[in-house]
Amino acid sequence: MKSNDPLLYPPLGHRLFSVWYRHMRVYTQHIVSNGFPPFLEPLIFLAGIGLGLGQYITEDIGGRTYLEFLAIGLLVTASMWTASFECTFGTFIRLEFQKVYDGMLAAPITANDLIIGEIFWAGSKGFFFSFAVLTVMCVVSIFGNVIVPLPQALSAPLIGFVNGMMFASLGLLVTSFVKTINHFNFFMTGLISPMFFFSGVVFEIDRLPKNIQPIAEIVPLTHSVRLMRSICGDDSTLLTNVWDVTYIVVFILVVGYFAVRRLKKRLIL
Amino acid sequence: MTNSSVIQVQNVSKTFGTLRAVYGLSFEVPERSCFGFLGPNGAGKTTMMKMLYARALRDRGHESRISVFGYDPAHQELQIKYLSGVVPQEDNLDEELNVLQNLLLFARFYNMPPTKARQRVEELLDFLELAEKRNELIRNLSGGMKRRLVIARALLNQPRLLILDEPTTGLDPQVRHVIWDKLRQLKRQGTTLLLTTHYMEEAFALCDTILILHQGKKILQGPPKQLLAEHIEQYVLELTEHEANTETLRSRLSDNVRIDPSGQTIRFYSNEIEALKSVADHLPAGQYYLRQSNLEDVFLKTTGRTLNEKQ
Repeated sequence: MKSNDPLLYPPLGHRLFSVWYRHMRVYTQHIVSNGFPPFLEPLIFLAGIGLGLGQYITEDIGGRTYLEFLAIGLLVTASMWTASFECTFGTFIRLEFQKVYDGMLAAPITANDLIIGEIFWAGSKGFFFSFAVLTVMCVVSIFGNVIVPLPQALSAPLIGFVNGMMFASLGLLVTSFVKTINHFNFFMTGLISPMFFFSGVVFEIDRLPKNIQPIAEIVPLTHSVRLMRSICGDDSTLLTNVWDVTYIVVFILVVGYFAVRRLKKRLIL
Repeated sequence: MTNSSVIQVQNVSKTFGTLRAVYGLSFEVPERSCFGFLGPNGAGKTTMMKMLYARALRDRGHESRISVFGYDPAHQELQIKYLSGVVPQEDNLDEELNVLQNLLLFARFYNMPPTKARQRVEELLDFLELAEKRNELIRNLSGGMKRRLVIARALLNQPRLLILDEPTTGLDPQVRHVIWDKLRQLKRQGTTLLLTTHYMEEAFALCDTILILHQGKKILQGPPKQLLAEHIEQYVLELTEHEANTETLRSRLSDNVRIDPSGQTIRFYSNEIEALKSVADHLPAGQYYLRQSNLEDVFLKTTGRTLNEKQ
């Protein structure tokens, strides 16, 4: 057999890409069952709120109808859900049940490449899920009431991408502690669900009791949602924008760093 | 490379908490040879293999050293992985994809140009007799086909070293012989093989050198035939469910017969077949089995017949 040059192992960028590509390829293998629900979910949500609950809410929020207010939030939360599931249940199943990483780590990639590639992949899923919500909102806006401000809302997938990276880092950090898959229920019910309700998605943070408001400032979703609202033209100050962007960048780097460090210990004995 | 050893391991240990999985292990694997780890479950075989391609890190120590193609897995894992193929203990194929897709996807990790990847995948499908199954989903494959596919995947980058963790465990005899045949072919083509196994016939059929591991330590090392010659008598007389009075049997034995009782079975070992025959003559047919000793006898003699807590 021909001997190959060991120094020809793929460079970092390619290694991260091949991890990303592996996940993308497996995900898109069942494109209908994986790709359709993200479009269906916002439709159900809009119908449920718009036709049902929304009828009772007549008050404006910052000059928007309740439906418009909620729609902007949903552009971001879709990416939170998908990245959180991907990097908790998804990662755990690949790690413990399917043993996918045993195969991948036999290839010329390091554990760091694998985990960082995973974060990029979850970010991409966040991009896609936000894009799906955006598409539904745009279609509804064209044929019915305008519910998302255009063209500003077109930036939603990008916010979905960074938001996905944040929740991927958080999910992987949680996964590094988890011994059985059932433990994720605490994370989902105890942290992700409350974030959906108390981070300025379904109502404004100002409406929270004064002593609880700082807590909303600590959790990640608040910042990506507020940034999205700001892009969509809601009142905001430059200071809040800078704070939100800084928070997101620092969160991804710091939580991501610890997630990589801790999860690596589970991959490399 | 000037040195003809592909793998050099010196005084390597691995501790998990208080458990010593591998302890002070040293060995060398010459190029183009087949080296086998033999040992009961929990002996440290898999851990030792994982340390070679950086799935496990050895304990730090000044005299401890691992070199694979001259690279240290603790610092240069990518070079080692690029030159080696790994067949893990459990098949971990992508169930969502078919045979062809599994291989093409894995070729991505090696940065192989698409046309070259296709060509290499076809070669491997032919080599491992999977060409007809190219479009089959993984769940429709038999255990033997999955195993061959994992081997094909490990061979994608034309590795100079192939690491196999229990390559034929749980497979039927036909598949086993096919896999052995392929591995021998690879060795003839110049690939160095390193494998772990519980099967003595496998070690005997494939390996140039065997290392018997027990509780993380090296018990014996050498060519299979030499281990047989040096560590076990040539013949064995096995008595299962013996009702014969052991004392009367013992009185008939000459001094050069070793007795090894275990559970319901009693084994007499000797280099003189006549000595064993004289015992057998007094036993009813069907109660005994006179045979040549094999690697299993060496293995059981050196690692003990009782189960440890990890088995």
